[in-house]
Amino acid sequence: MTRSFLFAATIAGSLIGSVVAQEPSPPPAMSAEALAAKLDAVGQGSAIVRTQMEIRTKEGGKHTFQLQIKQRRTKAGTDLVYLVLWPNDQKGKAVILHQKAGTAPSGSVIEPPHTVRALKESEMSEGLFDSDLAYRDAVENFFAWKKQALVGSEVVDRVNCQILESKPDSSSESIYGTVRSWIDPARLVPLRIEKYSPAGELIRRIETDRVARDDRQQSIPAGLVVHGPRKNTVTQFNGASIKHDVEFSDADFTPDSVFR
Amino acid sequence: MTFLTVVIRGLLRRPVRTCLTLAGISIGIAAVVALVGMSRGFEKGWQVGLKARGTDLVVSSRGGSLTPKPFNASIRDQIARLPGIAATCNLLVQVTSVEDSDLMILSAREWGGFSWSNLKLVTGRMPQSGEEQAVVLGQTAADILKKKVGDPIQIETAELKVVGIVKGGALVEDGSVIMSLALLQKILASPDQINAIDVRVTPGTNEKQLQILIQQIQRQVPEVRAVSVADHLSNSEGFRMVRAMTWGTSLLAVLVGVLGVMNTMLMTVFERTHEICVLLAVGWKRSRIIQMVLYESALLGFFGGVIGVTIGALGVRALGETPALRGLLQPDLGFPLLALSVLIAVAVGVFSGLYPAWRSSRLAPSQALQAG
Repeated sequence: MTRSFLFAATIAGSLIGSVVAQEPSPPPAMSAEALAAKLDAVGQGSAIVRTQMEIRTKEGGKHTFQLQIKQRRTKAGTDLVYLVLWPNDQKGKAVILHQKAGTAPSGSVIEPPHTVRALKESEMSEGLFDSDLAYRDAVENFFAWKKQALVGSEVVDRVNCQILESKPDSSSESIYGTVRSWIDPARLVPLRIEKYSPAGELIRRIETDRVARDDRQQSIPAGLVVHGPRKNTVTQFNGASIKHDVEFSDADFTPDSVFR
Repeated sequence: MTFLTVVIRGLLRRPVRTCLTLAGISIGIAAVVALVGMSRGFEKGWQVGLKARGTDLVVSSRGGSLTPKPFNASIRDQIARLPGIAATCNLLVQVTSVEDSDLMILSAREWGGFSWSNLKLVTGRMPQSGEEQAVVLGQTAADILKKKVGDPIQIETAELKVVGIVKGGALVEDGSVIMSLALLQKILASPDQINAIDVRVTPGTNEKQLQILIQQIQRQVPEVRAVSVADHLSNSEGFRMVRAMTWGTSLLAVLVGVLGVMNTMLMTVFERTHEICVLLAVGWKRSRIIQMVLYESALLGFFGGVIGVTIGALGVRALGETPALRGLLQPDLGFPLLALSVLIAVAVGVFSGLYPAWRSSRLAPSQALQAG
């Protein structure tokens, strides 16, 4: 963060003031499947998101992007468009991602003015706009996997979280062997996600550093810090706005929609 | 040897320990000065900003924050009809990331509304219509965003043009991207949505009449909240939280100082058992011994306070000059805060000295023989 603590705290405090004041009471205990199903349901629907993405290097350098994300998440699958709004020299670059339930993710990268390149499956683990978040992380919905287990609880940011362990089965395509999420059960928000290879090696950690209420008055992770396999960078997502229940057609998730 | 000399010699007996204790108190007091000064400065800046716009009342949705929930612009018509209202101006204020700045105030004002009138053009021009794809930037915002007149600026999904740099007369105004309300509503696809109404009352309205008007607005439109400019931030839940956080953090730092002084004074009493007993033996009253210990701890507090105030004031000014914070901090380091901080330090000193003083008063002159 490059802003003063006070300024940020004032603004963030003001924005989330009512959230803090009206902390929901913890719900009754749920099974792993029920918790995963609830999280899956919360993430479903269509929305337009604007977020700032900042890739920071250990040497102190940073690359900032303003992104618009169109998303449509249903039981049947996920469609996403990540479009660069700023900086101007990258404006119009986009990534389109799809994943039908039970199949491998696919996608394409769009470079202005009219270049479209399909992403190979081997490229799906590469960074979205060279960030620490992989293409597949954006599109993959591990809460919909069949194998879910509660493996403990731990306090994260003063919140007693339930640790949900998700494993892909034969019907779920993933390079990950296990995904662990630290879930705030009252707000239904993952405060930390760790993704492990089948060999048990930690590949990616995503931490929620800010929770806010969205336009449906639901708590969502508004700030994310992503640590990937690259050791010298970290990526921060700073959510600015979200608008739900946007009507999308299939055409909105095609290169033509980006060119328009 | 005067009484004060005895007190000062007591402190100078262990100069390193005294200095470390002073450092402990001064860090605590520096935290009070820096944090409270910054928070008061921000509060004052916001109020100055509202006053600079000629605003007497701010109407916003219930929920209490600096960027409250949007509501329909038609509510303004209900308020404007009330007697005693001279003018109104609809606003949509957002705090959001703009380009590579992660927090920026977008202040969209009704085109032609009085909230535009306080802006003094520094360079360039004002937008020519409410529909022009243009913004003006406060001087600080222009600095942070590294923009000059003619540059493009990305606001949400729209690329707009910076047509002017303005001076708003307050930190918040100078740190804002200012644009027409209609333009931002169009960009956000939120027609008719606003989240505040600046209200100007008829000249000559006194405080009592203002409060009556506030009650009338509340009755007329129960879903909104009207507050006078002076009360605007006090009513902000977010700011109340920041204020509590500021004082909480400061008091924690002060508590460390209390423990430091208490420890020093206790050690002093233990080490000077012989001296204190001799003083009692030569006729010093117990109350005078208590006074001596309390004077020592109060002096520690006083000097710690003075050093802390200096460190805090210089520190916060230096912080405000760093590239990341330039223009964002306008600390309120007025005499009342500095004096209060020194007073807190002296109180900390006296409070911390109470127990050691009580211990010293319980010593018996005969203990001088054992201690010696």
